[in-house]
Amino acid sequence: MSTTLYHGEPNGPSLTVLAALFEKNVDAALERIDLRAGDRHSDKVPHAMEVDQSIEGEGPVLVVDGTAMTDSVFLACYLDEVGSGPALRPVDPYARWQMMAWCRHIIERLAPAASYLGLQASPPGRVPEGIVSIDLAGRWRDAAEGRFDQAKLGDSRTKIGQAVDKVEAQLADGRQWLMGDFSVADLETYAWLAGMQPLVPEAFKGRALTREWLGRVKTRPSVVRARSLASVSAPERVWAPGPEINRWG
Amino acid sequence: MTDVTLYHWEPNANSGKPMLALMEKGVPFNSHYLDMLAFDQHKPDYLAINPMGTIPAMTHGDLVLTESTAIMEYVDEAFPGPRLMPENPVDQWRVRWWMKFMDQWLGPSFSMIGWSVFVGPSVRQKDPAELEAAIERIPMPERRISWRKAINGAFSAEEMAESQRRVALGITFLEQALGEREWLASDHYSLADINGFNLAYALPLSQPHLSNDQLTPNIMRWVRAIYARPATKRCWALGKTDLAKRASLLEAELA
Repeated sequence: MSTTLYHGEPNGPSLTVLAALFEKNVDAALERIDLRAGDRHSDKVPHAMEVDQSIEGEGPVLVVDGTAMTDSVFLACYLDEVGSGPALRPVDPYARWQMMAWCRHIIERLAPAASYLGLQASPPGRVPEGIVSIDLAGRWRDAAEGRFDQAKLGDSRTKIGQAVDKVEAQLADGRQWLMGDFSVADLETYAWLAGMQPLVPEAFKGRALTREWLGRVKTRPSVVRARSLASVSAPERVWAPGPEINRWG
Repeated sequence: MTDVTLYHWEPNANSGKPMLALMEKGVPFNSHYLDMLAFDQHKPDYLAINPMGTIPAMTHGDLVLTESTAIMEYVDEAFPGPRLMPENPVDQWRVRWWMKFMDQWLGPSFSMIGWSVFVGPSVRQKDPAELEAAIERIPMPERRISWRKAINGAFSAEEMAESQRRVALGITFLEQALGEREWLASDHYSLADINGFNLAYALPLSQPHLSNDQLTPNIMRWVRAIYARPATKRCWALGKTDLAKRASLLEAELA
């Protein structure tokens, strides 16, 4: 079986997938791509429909025997299924439901907010060529031209605060990891939240359990190894256009 | 006797997903119908089950589950019956990819159109004071905005055009995928088909210029195959509004 992971800087979805790969001891070729330069839309990466239309926006691409796959939570589920390391998902169906529902909340509410705020802090210089998805191209244009909507920025800060509240409440019973055992939920939540500490510091104020948990995830060997692949000193400050903020409902 | 209760509206969109998954697995369940157009989902009895006031929700013994797609995965894993997730891990990824695409990209566009032409007009005739009080009871602020927009017909032309663009494009993606394999995400009927069908079953009626036997033969083959499944028929028997009647009308036309 031939497996290649095309990944960006170890932040956001690239961090989740790199760390999951290391947790599960999956043998894969690692290819660094520059998501902020639009490498995912160039001929460096296979162009399946599922890559071009990924809801996640600019995330890593895992190619297994010619099939190009995207969306970090589901890539982590795949790696959990095929790899040899300790399970990254609970076995009990209800506990697994809790983890999947948690991740849905993260990818639908936290991820768009984090990437919006991250992009505003360091917008890309230009819109790359070759973006197939019209709505993703629109997010690139808005970011490159500095068009950030005040209402969306405010709503995004609120959502960072809500995500931190959710983590803090989950850890209140003294547990080490969000679902009890270490899981995809820890990786995905950390990956989107870690870079928000300098941007939305008020959300983390007085949230000792969350800050301690962020520290635990950061020192996890798989996360240390993923972060060691960074080409910059602070990969958590590197953002490319991510999922769109909910249009409706 | 069963210790499973599903709180649902019509066999359509989010409610339809766990309904059809339970039917396909052969899991007996108590059907608790919520009249969304009468705001049953924001009344105290239901908020005691699901404080967010979203539909559907499922209880299994003392356990409470929300989020329709995550409920479907639970139903598949927690009960015996035919597997609705493929064995192959790449196919499993593809099932989840399509479900997210439906839930977060195509579904909201379908839903905006549906709310604009069906839900909004259906409740608009109610007493304005009663409607306002009903909206104020909605727990989630973004849902309050959605309901106000639907009731007031306040979707902008730009928003509606974008939804229509996505529906048209989504149809081409569905047609392409269903041209590559028998079912949406693998060679086996799966949760992705259940998810997709609950959005797309009425395409030939609601978007006849975009989805028909000439333009989208694979979508038509797929919806007909799912219409014909006994579980789908049992599921639709639980519907009470014109939505379910619309489906049976379509089934008759296609037979």
